[in-house]
Amino acid sequence: MSKTKKFDRRDFFRGTAALAFTGAAWGAVGEKTEGTVWQLDPNKCTQCGRCTTHCVLNPSSVKCMNQFNICGYCDLCFGYLQPGSRARGTGAGDQLCPTAATKRAYIEHPYYEYLIDEDLCIGCAKCVNACLVFGNASFYLQNRQDVCINCNECSIAKACPSDAWSEVPASQPYIYLTGDKSTTI
Amino acid sequence: MKEPVRRANHPWMVGLSVAAIGAAYFFLLGNSDFPEPGPNLTYDIETYAKLDEVETRYEETGLIVPDLEEPEALAIGPGGRLYVAGLNAVAIFGEDDTEIARFNTNGAAKCIAVAQDGTVFLGFSKHVEVVGKDGAVQAVWPDIDPRAYLTSIAVLEDDVYVADAGNRVVYRFDREGSLLARIGEANPAEDIPGIEVPSPYLDLALNDEGDLWVVNPGQLGLERYRSDGSIVTSWYKPSVVKLEGFSGCCNPTHIAFSNDGKLITSEKGLVRIKVYDVTSGEFEELVAGSKLFPREQSLKDLVVDAGNRILVLDPRKNAIRIFERKEDDHGSTS
Repeated sequence: MSKTKKFDRRDFFRGTAALAFTGAAWGAVGEKTEGTVWQLDPNKCTQCGRCTTHCVLNPSSVKCMNQFNICGYCDLCFGYLQPGSRARGTGAGDQLCPTAATKRAYIEHPYYEYLIDEDLCIGCAKCVNACLVFGNASFYLQNRQDVCINCNECSIAKACPSDAWSEVPASQPYIYLTGDKSTTI
Repeated sequence: MKEPVRRANHPWMVGLSVAAIGAAYFFLLGNSDFPEPGPNLTYDIETYAKLDEVETRYEETGLIVPDLEEPEALAIGPGGRLYVAGLNAVAIFGEDDTEIARFNTNGAAKCIAVAQDGTVFLGFSKHVEVVGKDGAVQAVWPDIDPRAYLTSIAVLEDDVYVADAGNRVVYRFDREGSLLARIGEANPAEDIPGIEVPSPYLDLALNDEGDLWVVNPGQLGLERYRSDGSIVTSWYKPSVVKLEGFSGCCNPTHIAFSNDGKLITSEKGLVRIKVYDVTSGEFEELVAGSKLFPREQSLKDLVVDAGNRILVLDPRKNAIRIFERKEDDHGSTS
């Protein structure tokens, strides 16, 4: 007749040591393997609008940015104003952005600074497209990592027609503008 | 003794559970039925691009491919010769569009002008170099300042006009490089707004009468100045919804005069080449529409040669594209 061995104090210490060893090994491996986050390459982006509609978040974690060393600080900013806008004003009827997320601030005559209110921005890229064609191409989209929940399979990446999305190292989570369209003085 | 066989009491429940899990997976994870962005979320460029889908009296008749790295600028010299400035060299083309000479330069000139005596003036990013007709460097003018970005140059007798997009001003130098006047500069004390330059494009041109015309790209028009810097006249044509206007933040990017005194312009964004009456600013006709050029870029330069051909430097092809009046339209110039 066999006797069942009791779980004694020695077994407890052995188990604890094994757990600690496993944890330490996991931690060591984890330090070596860097995590990744989803990001879109603005140089591949075609401003299709799906970043707004295909994100699981509402509003989308994709937001517009303005690269100031490329921006012309234009009075007649096509990223801000409706194409046929007669007045270069701040009225809702003059603004291109569907959520009025682009803010215009006077610098000196006749130059204006354009900032994005990220709480309002839905990442539709209307302003990005307009600035690309009619301006200096200083507006571009980025996935804000402080908003993104980093889904295993990003639904925007799946729907992106220009293959602009990829997983990038978490230590370098943003991709800035490059390329011949981004000319600056 | 026979082992008892374990059977599910309700096999239909198992089937139902599997189906429910499958359905849940499909609806929660497998279904990608996101709405497509509607018209309110997209920018409809095509509406504006279609404005230039009109019949023109011009056609593309040829291509000159210079054997140069990064061709940047064009000029017409004495004898109707075409000068093309590229990286570390300038190539000169004769009447039949073949290269007849070249000389080396030190770097990439952004703009070029040739005087009647064959002296070549090269505008680099921050300074001007003078090259004799034998290709030898005669003078290297000092850097203008760290902010300078020279984009256009023209010579009229003893005056050399240089456009500086970085400082938003046009300089008048003598041929030795002494500064004689600053043109188009902002002067708040006299309520002069100055030339508005939001991007690195600022062009100027001299017509046959020696009038200096300078683009005000931010105002989408042209200004005529006297040699002392005082303004004579101006006209502006901002419009993205009409072909006769200049679209975008800052156009036209390049200008030149035809042999009959018409103003030829090129624009960036929706790249178009058009003809205007320079005095009134009235739009006359389209030479080439945006379908013929890469979108979102600018042409590098534009000149009109002795044969009244419009030559444009296309950055994608690194070549000079030639536009001419269609043969059956010769002589019907308005």
